Amino acid sequence: MVAATGRFLIHSYNTSLGFWFLLYQTINKIFTRPFRVKEIIKQLHFVLNESAPIVAFCVCSAAAVTIVESSFHMKIVVKNDSLVPGFAALLILRELGVVVALLLVTSRVGAGIAAEVGTMKVTEQIDAFKMLGMDPVKYIVVPRFIACILGGAVLSLIANLICLYVAMLVSQIKLGYSAGLFLTSIRGFVEMQDLCFSCIKGAVFGGVIPLVSCYFGLRCQAGPEGVGRATTNSVVVSSVAIIGLDFLLSWVFTNFY
Amino acid sequence: MIEFVNFKKNFGNKEILKGLTFKVNKGEIVFILGMSGTGKSVLLKNIVGLMRPTSGQLFVAGEDISGFKESQYYEVRKKCGMVLQSPALFESFTVFENIAFGLRRNSSFDEAEIDRRVKESLRLVQLKGVEHKWPQELSFGMQKRVSLARTLAVVPKILLFDEPTTGLDPVTTNVINKLIFDLSRELNTTSVVVSHDISCALDIADRIIVLDGGQIVAQGSPKELVKSTIPLVKDFLMEVR
Repeated sequence: MVAATGRFLIHSYNTSLGFWFLLYQTINKIFTRPFRVKEIIKQLHFVLNESAPIVAFCVCSAAAVTIVESSFHMKIVVKNDSLVPGFAALLILRELGVVVALLLVTSRVGAGIAAEVGTMKVTEQIDAFKMLGMDPVKYIVVPRFIACILGGAVLSLIANLICLYVAMLVSQIKLGYSAGLFLTSIRGFVEMQDLCFSCIKGAVFGGVIPLVSCYFGLRCQAGPEGVGRATTNSVVVSSVAIIGLDFLLSWVFTNFY
Repeated sequence: MIEFVNFKKNFGNKEILKGLTFKVNKGEIVFILGMSGTGKSVLLKNIVGLMRPTSGQLFVAGEDISGFKESQYYEVRKKCGMVLQSPALFESFTVFENIAFGLRRNSSFDEAEIDRRVKESLRLVQLKGVEHKWPQELSFGMQKRVSLARTLAVVPKILLFDEPTTGLDPVTTNVINKLIFDLSRELNTTSVVVSHDISCALDIADRIIVLDGGQIVAQGSPKELVKSTIPLVKDFLMEVR
């Protein structure tokens, strides 16, 4: 038991050390030539194209559930649901939109990156890159890192706007609030900076996904089992990191209100 | 050209290479033979920094590279070409782009010269008309030959082959083996070949090193090895008798 705990702690320490080193290398190489703009655009297209439809669908459901459930419980507790649009908008802009969107990006894009990089590792393409004088971090990690940061910010904005729009529609149909009443109601609760903070969260979460995925992909063990394990680990660790960072960033942002 | 001095490599607590000491001279063709899992590929990967030694020294072109950092290995890799066990072609590039990649990256050749070199490399490995195909459209043997062409295109001084003929038909195997021999004799290229092809080793090697359990159990010219009384060497030679 003690030995297993020790092994786990040493493994966790080595993993986090390796991860921070990859982050350091990535940031260091963002500013070195060549900048590979075409590859960044290609990756950005991949991030948005892969994730946007599923993000839109899921945030629509999340917004509808938020409105319906909030109304149901407020009616029971305070016999009045007039504050539902405001609270829902606050919840959507501060947490729901960005976290749901980026968790979905983790499962779509993060898993894809881990599988792609892992396959490159086991088929010795990473070694071939090195042999031809290319740095795998510069060539593989950096474009995905930049693309996911931009994609994360854009997707969080899209998710928030869709979420708010669906919340407004559901409020209109289910609760009987007009669009004007809905917008007036949320004005007292949310500010422009909520949207800005949400985009910042999206960018940070977006940066975590390719780093974690590439980290596990580049350390992938041989064989299909190794690729599978790298993919699973990347999704699990990215999701946990997003939830942990969400708490940390929310706590930091409360100081700005 | 390449020298290992008391070279050791461990994976965790497991000793893979146990204090190897040997030298590969300029222009020499050295074959490394041994059972699977004895550390032959590990040995090659250490020469170009794809793996790092646990202890000991490793000299390439007179320079001790055993303590090199990743950025220092790029100069070593420019001198060395390595044909990996897998074809390791970049799937998002065509055959032409795969071969031209290293030339564009590591030389100042213009596009016309790159085009000429790509075609010449493909001719050497007996492939024609595949420049614009994708790696996925080629058979494993053809991919392996493209991989070899990619390595040859940059004309390295040291060539490292990790099972270059595995998965190839006998005719192509002979072509590749003749190519290794010709490059060594005509361009004075130093070659280290990890292979299970004993008959080829006896035909073209200047020296053969036999590894077992992470140690050298025999080394010498093909003629010397044929006379060896070491059981493992005799077992290997049984195949060609």
